Amino acid sequence: MSAQGSTPMASDATMRALARRPRLRESVIQAFLFVAGAISILTTVGIVAVLLRESLRFFASPEVSLREFLTSTKWQPQILEFGIWPLVNATLMTSTIAMAVALPLGLAVAIYLSEYASERSRSILKPVLEVLAGIPTVVYGYFALTFMTPLLRAIFGRDVVEIYNTASAGIVIGILILPLVSSMSEDALSAVPNALREAAYAMGATKLEVAVQVVVPAALSGIAAAAILAMSRAVGETMVVAIAAGAGPNFTFNPFKAAETMTGHIVRISSGDIAYDSIDYNSLFAIGLVLFLMTLALNILSQRIVQRFREAYE
Amino acid sequence: MRRLKFASLILVALVLASCAGPAAPTPTQPPAAPPTATPVPPTATPVPPTATPVPAKPTQPPAVEEVRLPKVNPLEVTGDIITAGSSTVFPLAERMAERFRDEGYKGNITIDSIGSGAGFERFCKAGETDISNASRPIKDSEREACRSIGREPLEFRIGTDALAVVVSRENTFITNATKEELAKIFADAVKWSDVNPQWPDKEILRFTPGTDSGTFDYFVEEIFKKDKERALKATNLQLSEDDNVLVQGVLGSPYAIGYFGYAYYVENADRLRVLSIEGVEPTQETVDKGTYPLARPLFMYSTAKIMKEKPQVAAFLNFVLTHVNEEIRDVGYFPASTEALNAAKRTWLEAMK
Repeated sequence: MSAQGSTPMASDATMRALARRPRLRESVIQAFLFVAGAISILTTVGIVAVLLRESLRFFASPEVSLREFLTSTKWQPQILEFGIWPLVNATLMTSTIAMAVALPLGLAVAIYLSEYASERSRSILKPVLEVLAGIPTVVYGYFALTFMTPLLRAIFGRDVVEIYNTASAGIVIGILILPLVSSMSEDALSAVPNALREAAYAMGATKLEVAVQVVVPAALSGIAAAAILAMSRAVGETMVVAIAAGAGPNFTFNPFKAAETMTGHIVRISSGDIAYDSIDYNSLFAIGLVLFLMTLALNILSQRIVQRFREAYE
Repeated sequence: MRRLKFASLILVALVLASCAGPAAPTPTQPPAAPPTATPVPPTATPVPPTATPVPAKPTQPPAVEEVRLPKVNPLEVTGDIITAGSSTVFPLAERMAERFRDEGYKGNITIDSIGSGAGFERFCKAGETDISNASRPIKDSEREACRSIGREPLEFRIGTDALAVVVSRENTFITNATKEELAKIFADAVKWSDVNPQWPDKEILRFTPGTDSGTFDYFVEEIFKKDKERALKATNLQLSEDDNVLVQGVLGSPYAIGYFGYAYYVENADRLRVLSIEGVEPTQETVDKGTYPLARPLFMYSTAKIMKEKPQVAAFLNFVLTHVNEEIRDVGYFPASTEALNAAKRTWLEAMK
């Protein structure tokens, strides 16, 4: 990313003219871009600082022990129960279900778009798919509560599926992150050089064999990165779980029961009337920190994968 | 359906008004009345048999003579009013504010629905609100906090809520619960059959207001004798500050149960069923007589100083106390007794001296 691009093609005369001209506008633009970049970085730094400070305050209070935080399966700050597992468990359940939906579907869509679809159908289908990404998540939340949950209840029975449950929230998050998976994977698939496909065809491979056995493995690093980014999006998704997953930190592995994810819990507690500087207020920052660490780890992992397993074909 | 419910409610109220003596105060009502509160004996006016009950217009003659406050003209009121507090009081406060605006008030009135406790926190610690809404009387500690920032809270009783314990209409096995059964249902028992062997062998799904709401506080106090821990250790417990989340949850299964302010029940009366407590159904009659065990007073709090410095606050309180009984049933709550309202009005007059 070089800020000042030189133009080797320009003739000497124009070069001299450019050098003489005062570059006021150029430097204003440069300064503006720098500030824009700095703001986003400083925001991140600020968020991390606040998260750390408030969580430290939480762990410093005598009622809290790090061991309980990491091992107990009960979370009820009002009666000083601080075990993060019910929340982490619910988050993992919704995002695993979401990935189970989004990954196969998204990959199939990507393969179709990149390998099979004609230029025409692709130019229609891709924007349509991207519309999914533009739907506000609150709409997805009510979609889960008023469509997906009744559907699940019709299939598995009303006594089995509770009105608020992690399965319905997870499936809908899966639909929500589908465009992310498919569009990033499609980019990765399209980036595979044509020579590979042609070579495989020359060996007598069918279209399916080419797609599944040649192109997908070649693009695996990009697909894996897409999957992990989608996962961290699913972990952080808030509105859908706040509306559809439940409002009580239950520790359960049954996807048809209500449970509360980390993000859902933060939303519910902070929109209530919580007193500043009370222990349950600070506990929210501890949850936030765990959440942040999870998504950070996922993002770092995805970068590593891209770097390590990248197949360079040029 | 809802109309009908209202109509029958009003009829009951009409019949009652004639024979109701000075209503017994609800269990948690504090001695709010200033020493001047001397109840006038009920004038035995016969009830005119009005066959067209309109919810908004109370037609029953007052059993006790009403104290009248100076008339407010909302058109002449200027300046903003900041209120915060109970989510139970919220629909009523909002209705009164709406009417205040309809009649010409041009300022801004904010009503934050954050729970009684947080309302007092803002009123007594931050000192940033003019009126604090509450579904329980102010605690001594909160009164102390108020005094330490130079605020002497005045209590205005504006109505009564009958906390409604509800199940879905699909539920066929429970119509009544004792307080003891409620304690088991909302805490210790896992399955319905643990409470009563005749009830189904299914898990109880619990939906209760969030831990900081006045409704939760009140329920824990009445049913669990303030033992919050017992209430929060329950299995399948879902808590929300959003009463509509609770309504949805209870509607979701015949084995679900929840509780919230009566107004939220009225809104969904066609799909929810309200339980009798100790054999007493929540109605105007049982609430007035104080026999419904979970009836609780609704309040607004302010101070004489605020009311004098900000005439708009005094005007709004005056407006509320004067007109609350014309709106309260429509919102879904019950009028306070005339004595209680009179006491509030006298407090108002005293403050404005």
